[in-house]
Amino acid sequence: MELICPAGTPATLRAAVVAGADAVYCGFRNETNARNFPGLNFSTAELAEGVRFAKGHGKKVLVAINTFAQPGRVDLWRKAVDEAAQCGADAVIAADLAVLDHAANNHPGLRLHLSVQAAASTPEAVKFYVDAFRVRRVVLPRVLSVQEIAALNRMIDVETEAFVFGGLCVMVEGRCYLSSYATGKSPNLSGVCSPPEHVTYEDDAEGTAARLAGFTIDRYARSQPTGYPTLCKGRFTAGGKTSYLFEDPVSLNAGGVLAGLKAAGVTALKIEGRQRGKAYVSEVVRAFRKAVDAVEAGGDAAEIDRILAGMSEGGRQTEGAYKKTWR
Amino acid sequence: MPRIALTLGPVFFHWPADRLADFYRRIADQAAIDRVHIGEVVCGKRMPFSDSIWPEVIERLERGGKEVVLSTLAAPATIRERRAVNDWCSEGRLVEINDVTAIPARSGQAFVIGPFVNVYNESSARFFAARGARTICPPVELSLDSIGSIARNCSDVDFEIFAFGRLPLALSGRCYHARLNNLHKDSCQFTCEQDPDGLAVDTIDGQEFLAVNGVQTLSNQVQAFCPEPDDLRAHGIRRLRLSPHTADMVAVAEAYRGLLDGTQSPTSTRFALSCLELPGGMVDGYLSGKPGFHLTGSADQ
Amino acid sequence: MADELRDGSLPLARILFPKVGALPLGTLLTRALRDLARRQPNLFERLGEHKSACFFVNPTDLSFAFLVVPDGERSLVRVVGKSETSSAAVLISGPILMLLGLLDGSLDGDALFFRRIVSIGGRTEAVLALRNAIDDAELRPADLLGLHGVLGRLADNAILGSLRAARRLACRGLDQGERS
Repeated sequence: MELICPAGTPATLRAAVVAGADAVYCGFRNETNARNFPGLNFSTAELAEGVRFAKGHGKKVLVAINTFAQPGRVDLWRKAVDEAAQCGADAVIAADLAVLDHAANNHPGLRLHLSVQAAASTPEAVKFYVDAFRVRRVVLPRVLSVQEIAALNRMIDVETEAFVFGGLCVMVEGRCYLSSYATGKSPNLSGVCSPPEHVTYEDDAEGTAARLAGFTIDRYARSQPTGYPTLCKGRFTAGGKTSYLFEDPVSLNAGGVLAGLKAAGVTALKIEGRQRGKAYVSEVVRAFRKAVDAVEAGGDAAEIDRILAGMSEGGRQTEGAYKKTWR
Repeated sequence: MPRIALTLGPVFFHWPADRLADFYRRIADQAAIDRVHIGEVVCGKRMPFSDSIWPEVIERLERGGKEVVLSTLAAPATIRERRAVNDWCSEGRLVEINDVTAIPARSGQAFVIGPFVNVYNESSARFFAARGARTICPPVELSLDSIGSIARNCSDVDFEIFAFGRLPLALSGRCYHARLNNLHKDSCQFTCEQDPDGLAVDTIDGQEFLAVNGVQTLSNQVQAFCPEPDDLRAHGIRRLRLSPHTADMVAVAEAYRGLLDGTQSPTSTRFALSCLELPGGMVDGYLSGKPGFHLTGSADQ
Repeated sequence: MADELRDGSLPLARILFPKVGALPLGTLLTRALRDLARRQPNLFERLGEHKSACFFVNPTDLSFAFLVVPDGERSLVRVVGKSETSSAAVLISGPILMLLGLLDGSLDGDALFFRRIVSIGGRTEAVLALRNAIDDAELRPADLLGLHGVLGRLADNAILGSLRAARRLACRGLDQGERS
């Protein structure tokens, strides 16, 4: 199985390659990619340099052009595909029909990976993208269980890639407008979820309130660790109960199901976190490199657990939808 | 001056079969609506409850002069759900596609693209048009200017705006009604039936914000987009979609018909809507490119 | 936990600044930052519109704070009192060694923030831009002190050594905090 690692900056790309990534994915510094955060991402020159560095180490670079092109501005997305191809990218990761169509028609040699933002989870949906655009790999939505992935892989004739670590979307990706409802910006419209310019942390009598566009997403006691106010990880009141209704503030760690994903026929494993720093990326990639190598060598679950145990990212972790009880 | 038509969207909520049948009887006989979407869109597990009523509902609606559209599931997953999508696609009637799963079965025949399919630009609109799309209701977060810009470059398709109802904001593999009641989705006991307009979700500071409906998340507030009809025509919009709630939908349709015919102003239409028992305050921010929860013309925005 | 951290880092922090030379600290840092901008313009490009923002950087274990405008070759650093926050768009507070640890990427800013070792206020997007720009820059402490050559390496070794010691303390503190 290939290990696909995130890079928000050239320094992180180099760190990921050195730490053991088989491929690094990154995006351009504009709204064509779904991690359009301030200070993040690559210029064309930086991408070309990053590709040279990765190739020098025998590794690949995948370019995420995975937002939805805006009306009247589709050329910006087409140009991103052209530049990724010119830089020598090994594949483009896309979700929008406009982007896929342009890539398939103008860069027949460029591999296309279907972004998780397209949320293709049925054999019919996968078949549609394969037939229409010759998509070579599908990044699977984070709502499928291991058994469902195995069943899907038996019915399709294309590579699949599964998320194994990092931020967890509880909603079907690419079809969630919670963020724009509160802030006007969303993954599909602007490449950001819960954008930082709408985030405030405010101390009040009850503690520290984390708000998004004025909506209180959570509140922490003064001495407690805080979190980023991502809408779906907030605490809300419904039916007289206050709870983390959508999802607890946890991140995905599918280390425990790596062998299951391999048996399910998954080609590539993806680590989330292009918005994270290089210290974080290095640590996670290093641990997963060891774990994946152990799985490939037939290592047992206890060994994998031991390798990944050292990887403390503070917050709590979940195996998410890979275990059916998550629903 | 082209007439702007009214569409009644599919019912998002888990209404008992007799409530659904009564609802559509009244729509068939009394509502000033041109096209009616039927079928379960949100949760495949609810389908067995309503399957048996559709033949009669369709017959009644068509007798009432309504064009019937069969809406398909927004997130089909199981074999049974995928088969249901296929079955409806091979019916003779117009279908609404809410997930690309339906495309292979329907390509080449006429269809409607629903608001759960990502059509964000003229290029993807034309892609679907070439395969049979006749009407496109784009995702709710797009502004009127954006939709207008797409419509201008894709003139053989009717563009429809989600004008009324709680906004469909997200879908999940997880059922929030089940989670809230400490139940598993697979044995959910259909607690979503208790909330025929969805269950309000407030912030911990008591701000009205969202609503949940099984695996679906909606806005707490109700979209109540009341534009000048000329403004819609200038943007190439040919339909408005009204999304069913327990509020009097015949009255909602009447208010919108008055607005589109020019017999009611946007202000009086909005006032008429505010007199109905809506499940939340009124919003229309998305259409002007603002956050969805904004309301045009309100003091603090 | 935080107290132990601050106690542990305080003597180390004290020895850093009196040794950097004869120039006033603000002038020295301004010069170092502009020097850095000439050598690594990309770092500042990454800040985008936020390079003209005023960052109030408050080392909680020192008696003074900094106002920083990281505007490339027009960068400005002023040493100010703890209350001079009125012109700042962003406030960043934390123990000096933790703040320095962010500069060379040896510490994860998100983790320090969520664990409240470092706190921020004001425009979150500007903080994020700064965090990302610094993360890509692969700075050494000497870059910020304007030191090159042998002197720079000496300073790096001293400061990074201190950082490692502080980090060990920090981790121990955090572990204890989480067990309690």
